[in-house]
Amino acid sequence: MGGFITLIWIAPFAALGLKKTQMTEMALTISGLSKTYANGVQALNNVSLTIRTGIFGLLGPNGAGKSTLLRTVATLQEPDAGSILLGETDVLRNKPEVRKKLGYLPQEFGLYPRVTAEVLLNHLAVLKGITNKKERAELVKALLYKTNLYEKRKKHLGSYSGGMKQRFGIAQALLSNPQLLIVDEPTAGLDPAERNRFHDLLNELSATTIVIFSTHIVEDVKELCTDMAIICNGKVLLTGNPLRAIEDVQGHVFSKVIQKNEFGVYNERYTIIANRLFQGNTVIHIFSKTTPGEGFKPVEADLSDVYFSKISGAPAPVQKLY
Amino acid sequence: MLFEIIKFELNYRIRQYNTYLSFIIVFMFSIVAVDFIFEGQPDAFKRNAPLTIAKSMGIISAFLLMIPSMIMGTAVLRDFDHRMEALLFVNPVKKSDYLMGRFLGSLVILVFIFTAIPLGMMVGDAMPWHRADELIPFHLWHYLQPFLFLVVPTLFFGGCLFFVTGALSRSLLIVYIQGCFFLIVYLLAVNLLKYPENQLLTGILEPFTFQTVRITTASWSIDDRNTALVPLTGIMLYNRLFWISLGMLTLGIGHYFFTFNVLADKTSTKKKYAGKTQDKNIPGYVPGPIPFASPDAGKQKTFIQLFHTTLFSFRSIVATLSFKVIVLCGMGVLLINSFNLNTGYGVNNVPASYLIAGELIELTGLFFLAIVIFYTGELVWKERDSGIDPLFDTLPASNLISLGGKFLGLMLTLILLFFTMTGTGILFQFSHGYYKFEPAIYLAAFFIEVFPFLFLLGVVCFVAQVLVNNKYLAHLVALIFIGICTFGCRLLGIDHGLVTFGGSLLTSYSDMNGYGHFLQPYLWFKTYWISFSVLLFMIAVLFSVRGADTGFRKRWRQHRALLITVKRISMSVLIVFIFSGGYIFYNTNILNRYASRSTQNTFRAEYEQQLKPLITQRQPRIAAVSLKLDLYPGQRKYSVKGQYLLFNPGQKSIYEIHIQKLPVDEVKLEYLAVEGGAIRDSTYIRFGYYILKLEQPLQPGDTLKMEFIQHFTPAGFPESTNTFMVYNGTLLDNYHFPTIGYNHDLELEDPTIRAAYGLNRQPGRAAIDDPVALLEGKSNGDGEEIDLDITVSTDTSQVVVAPGSLIKRWTQQARRYFHFVSDEPVSNFYAVLSARYAVKSEFWHPGKENTALEIYYHPGHTFNLDRMMNGMKKSLDHYSKHFTPYRYQQVRVAESPFYSGRGQAFPGLISIAENVGFIMNIDDETDMDMPFYITAHEMAHHWWGDLVNPANVQGKTMISESLAQYSALMVFKKEFPAEKVNKLLRWNMEHYLKGRSEKAIPESPLSLVGSKQEYVHYNKGLISLHALQHYISEDSVDKALQRFIRDWNSYTGLKKQYTGRYPTTNDLLCYLRQVTPDSMQYILSDLFTSVILYDNKLGQAHYEKTAANQYTITVTPDLKKIKINPQGNEIPTAINDYVELGVYTKDKEGNETLAGIKKIKITSAHPTLKISVSQKPAKIVLDPNLLLIDKNIADNEKSFGNDPL
Repeated sequence: MGGFITLIWIAPFAALGLKKTQMTEMALTISGLSKTYANGVQALNNVSLTIRTGIFGLLGPNGAGKSTLLRTVATLQEPDAGSILLGETDVLRNKPEVRKKLGYLPQEFGLYPRVTAEVLLNHLAVLKGITNKKERAELVKALLYKTNLYEKRKKHLGSYSGGMKQRFGIAQALLSNPQLLIVDEPTAGLDPAERNRFHDLLNELSATTIVIFSTHIVEDVKELCTDMAIICNGKVLLTGNPLRAIEDVQGHVFSKVIQKNEFGVYNERYTIIANRLFQGNTVIHIFSKTTPGEGFKPVEADLSDVYFSKISGAPAPVQKLY
Repeated sequence: MLFEIIKFELNYRIRQYNTYLSFIIVFMFSIVAVDFIFEGQPDAFKRNAPLTIAKSMGIISAFLLMIPSMIMGTAVLRDFDHRMEALLFVNPVKKSDYLMGRFLGSLVILVFIFTAIPLGMMVGDAMPWHRADELIPFHLWHYLQPFLFLVVPTLFFGGCLFFVTGALSRSLLIVYIQGCFFLIVYLLAVNLLKYPENQLLTGILEPFTFQTVRITTASWSIDDRNTALVPLTGIMLYNRLFWISLGMLTLGIGHYFFTFNVLADKTSTKKKYAGKTQDKNIPGYVPGPIPFASPDAGKQKTFIQLFHTTLFSFRSIVATLSFKVIVLCGMGVLLINSFNLNTGYGVNNVPASYLIAGELIELTGLFFLAIVIFYTGELVWKERDSGIDPLFDTLPASNLISLGGKFLGLMLTLILLFFTMTGTGILFQFSHGYYKFEPAIYLAAFFIEVFPFLFLLGVVCFVAQVLVNNKYLAHLVALIFIGICTFGCRLLGIDHGLVTFGGSLLTSYSDMNGYGHFLQPYLWFKTYWISFSVLLFMIAVLFSVRGADTGFRKRWRQHRALLITVKRISMSVLIVFIFSGGYIFYNTNILNRYASRSTQNTFRAEYEQQLKPLITQRQPRIAAVSLKLDLYPGQRKYSVKGQYLLFNPGQKSIYEIHIQKLPVDEVKLEYLAVEGGAIRDSTYIRFGYYILKLEQPLQPGDTLKMEFIQHFTPAGFPESTNTFMVYNGTLLDNYHFPTIGYNHDLELEDPTIRAAYGLNRQPGRAAIDDPVALLEGKSNGDGEEIDLDITVSTDTSQVVVAPGSLIKRWTQQARRYFHFVSDEPVSNFYAVLSARYAVKSEFWHPGKENTALEIYYHPGHTFNLDRMMNGMKKSLDHYSKHFTPYRYQQVRVAESPFYSGRGQAFPGLISIAENVGFIMNIDDETDMDMPFYITAHEMAHHWWGDLVNPANVQGKTMISESLAQYSALMVFKKEFPAEKVNKLLRWNMEHYLKGRSEKAIPESPLSLVGSKQEYVHYNKGLISLHALQHYISEDSVDKALQRFIRDWNSYTGLKKQYTGRYPTTNDLLCYLRQVTPDSMQYILSDLFTSVILYDNKLGQAHYEKTAANQYTITVTPDLKKIKINPQGNEIPTAINDYVELGVYTKDKEGNETLAGIKKIKITSAHPTLKISVSQKPAKIVLDPNLLLIDKNIADNEKSFGNDPL
């Protein structure tokens, strides 16, 4: 009996202890981050997030501030206010330290066209601090092998296809066994097969790494992420587990087929979270706490409903579902 | 549509700040352009003369070629740069409309920008500080005409070239490289000028028209040069038409090859093409662990990273196409220009290593400049240009590594080029039969003379790129910075090496003296500036752009983390900077006195203002000199104990003796005393001017002894040093030791500077009848004929050479002593040389006496010793026979470092600089034997200058130099075939014409030649005296010269002794008149007392066979005789002269021989002349013996074809 009580007493502390060590070693804490560009656009508005090991999905429409946030975390930009901690390292004040632990795959990047993959990766590895020649050669070889560029390692990067360039980007991001891996809209230019392979790779890495994965495609998050945030107009609208988020809206999403010209009327009366064309008519999804009647049918909610319910609630033009 | 595109282009450009910035740059540059293009030419033509304007405009537009390349190169290129091409090219625009629209729009803007040239020049000329006599009245057309005819066509062609290369290559660097095209064509054109018959070709080919203007105006009179417009006719017109049509052709080619494709199809030729479709079916990622490589945390990490970045940057530069093109262009320039080993004597030097290294540096300097300026831009922007910056910016390597590595990579590129150049130079030497392998000289030349400058330039460019943060603007900023540092500071009169960026250049290498004592201060200055540049570089490191933020405050905040490292480096560099700066300051300003140029000018102006009035005080003359000189070449020190015997040549007693010490800080006059005692008046001591008030006046005809002790002791190093004492090759002449009275040589010369101090233009040489100047010879009245007794000691490694017989030579306490005594009086123009000499000695036997001939030369400089020895012997033979016997027991020729740059004749001693004669490369087949000629010329000074000492008045150098030229020519003529004599005459004729076209002061007749008219007394003197002996025979001239020597020589000449004055050209002309027949008397006036030019053309000529073995040639020449009046204007004059026609025949091998020559008296400008010869004529030449000075000798001959008429 006493043993049991002890166990009850100890368990939460043990759990807490475990959690604490994880937090100190493996969490990225963003607090109160704001950034306004010179042209008046507020890209980040008091963003606070805590991101742990695993894949963190950052979902938001184009221009939501995702890239600004990621660039700031990746030490490439200074915020106007706020702080970022990686474990106990202040990201904004101790960039060199963070850069040692960082892997970054930007949304857009170029490569030197007249250099081979092997040479450039080797050069980047040196600058990552891997100065042991033998170790570096092994690493470069392994990464090229892993990203399936090994065959083409002696080719000029100028001749690489978009997918190959992306894979090279991943290879370089993994150079120093990153504790923090930032991938900014990586699947935008990839075909479905390549996207799946990429997801597999991220999944493999997520066991030991904080992966921040930004996208405007809901499916990506649904498939990959254990944790997510929806960001729009520089604000965090939602954070949490994607499944739990779906549960929150489950039972509150209804759909109806309406005439195109009726859209205005419905838009006034309901919170339309999405609309799409279906055989010439319009299918609308609405969010409602109560059953709306009027021919609305309840539908099985998915992450896109969560996403669109969130961003349509935001003070911005209504997003269209495509 | 075309119009729309033009409008769009104009609108776009009008909104670009570049347009206005370029305009302002051109404008500012044009305001001061004339000042620095014609800087340091004291007797320049009028500042706003149309010719000056035209020349300046050509030079400005060449200098600012960068602007057309930026404007025109980007007209199409920017669509690709901004990735707009896909959006643009899908529009229904015709290719020709697009191209022409862009081209015309940009061209209009370009011309607008360059209208800043005439505007700027007008403003520059209107500046209030120009003196009225520098200007002619304002005419708008004087500015517009050259702008429209010279600048606009150049802009058009340049525009076409830059536009087309930009559109086709889509790389701005390739556009910039077209600048090399201009350079190569220009050099090609200039190179063609080596042969005068290529003038037309050069005139047409030269893209900027400076040579074309020069060729068209070569024979212009001073009046024309000050007022006439350069006409758009002849060569000038052809040149402009040629370049305009070439521009159109370029446009056509561009239009043909330009495709409206979105992507340049570059991949098709790539070997390393990866194949885009092959990877579809293979898995993208292979699962599995990644090996863990631990990042290095140690110190060596930084160095390994730096090393890698250096190599990576180096490889990336070397791999680019543009680099290869630049290197090819550089090699092209080397190939075209080859190595200019020209000596200024019409023959080449041997390809000595230091000459080749110097040539390599000079020829490729511009390319190094271009490489540094352009590739800093490419390197700093390397990541951003290819979009890879987000990957690099998140790497943990610091800015110090990335920027530092790039900088070192660039330096490594330069070093690679240096080594390549060394290889090229050595190959060139080997292929020209110079087998001394001296890589150290090359490496020293590159790494000591050039590399520090390029290093500094590189830093400036890096800093500019980082701070300006706009690649192209930064190129310009860097150029402007360099411009300000070099010209700007000079214009402002700032010249201390601690302030002028980079410090001064290193004095060139001398085979004899190496870099001498110049090296140490040079290295200190470079240390100082390099440490300064490292500090600058640290600023670049702190502010280099990383990530998305480009604001300065953000950049600063980003790199705070680096501050500790930067501080540590900066602190240690700062210590070096402060220490070296302090050490330099201690040396230049505390141990030595620093005088800026303006301080020196003030000193010289005050010297003249305060001391010139004292010139009326009659001074004694030196009658004997005795020196005990101890040289310490290793320490650059000497001390001398001297004694002058002074005598009073006048009719009145002398109460004061004025002594001038050489006004150089190292020279200290420690002791100065006269026999009988004197009171020293030190009023003017700051000028080194001592007045000794004699206790007992020096009575007429009396003598007294003066004694002095003088030291030369350098302390540390001054800001700018002198070449009096050097480690090897010291040359001290009599002016180095105390002189008597006021010294004219210290006066300011530049009339503009003189005017600023309220001084009038220097009067030039005294009038031929100036009674005071007639009493002075070449030593300016310090005493002309002296007894000389010199004892010199020096290091045991060196040998001393001085005039006089070497009566004793001994070694004592590890020093060598030499005692020279003159056997009979010599002229007061002596020198002491000390160097590590080798000696070649022979004897000349003029009967019973032996005259020792010795050449003291730098070991290794043995190329021309035999020629010089031969020159000495043949001159002694000739002059002793034709003039008078040689006066001394020996002739010594001694080599001196190139600092003096000339040959000088002292009594029995000739000093010849190492770059004159000793290292000439003479091909006996083709070249004139100039070492022989130069030796003969200097030998002749023993008669003309030493034996006969001309009065210090107008025409003085006709007696000393023209007669020496004539004498040497006569020796040369005896020794070498007629073709070589002809070559020598031709060469002198060309130099005379070139020389007279460059001077704004009206030319004097030979008999009244003034100072600074070398082209008259050397070049014209030779031609004129040669013509005289041709007309009246050599014997007659010799007879006159013998009488002249007999009566006027300084030692026994009766007239000299009777009058007490020195001879003038009037005296010489008397003797010449005596030996000239009445019919030829006119020639004396034409040759010597007036300035006569001809502009003769052979015109029509044909021949017919009049009998067996008789051919008659008929010519109708066009003859013009021109007299130059004292104002410098050309006055046509009636012709009434003897003119020669020469007919040449050709044998089976094609050798030409003279078949007949006829002297004809001509009295009309268009005579018809006949000449008969017995062989088939191949060529007829007007004036084959070059008796008349003809503005253009190229049109004086005609060759006949093979077919007989």
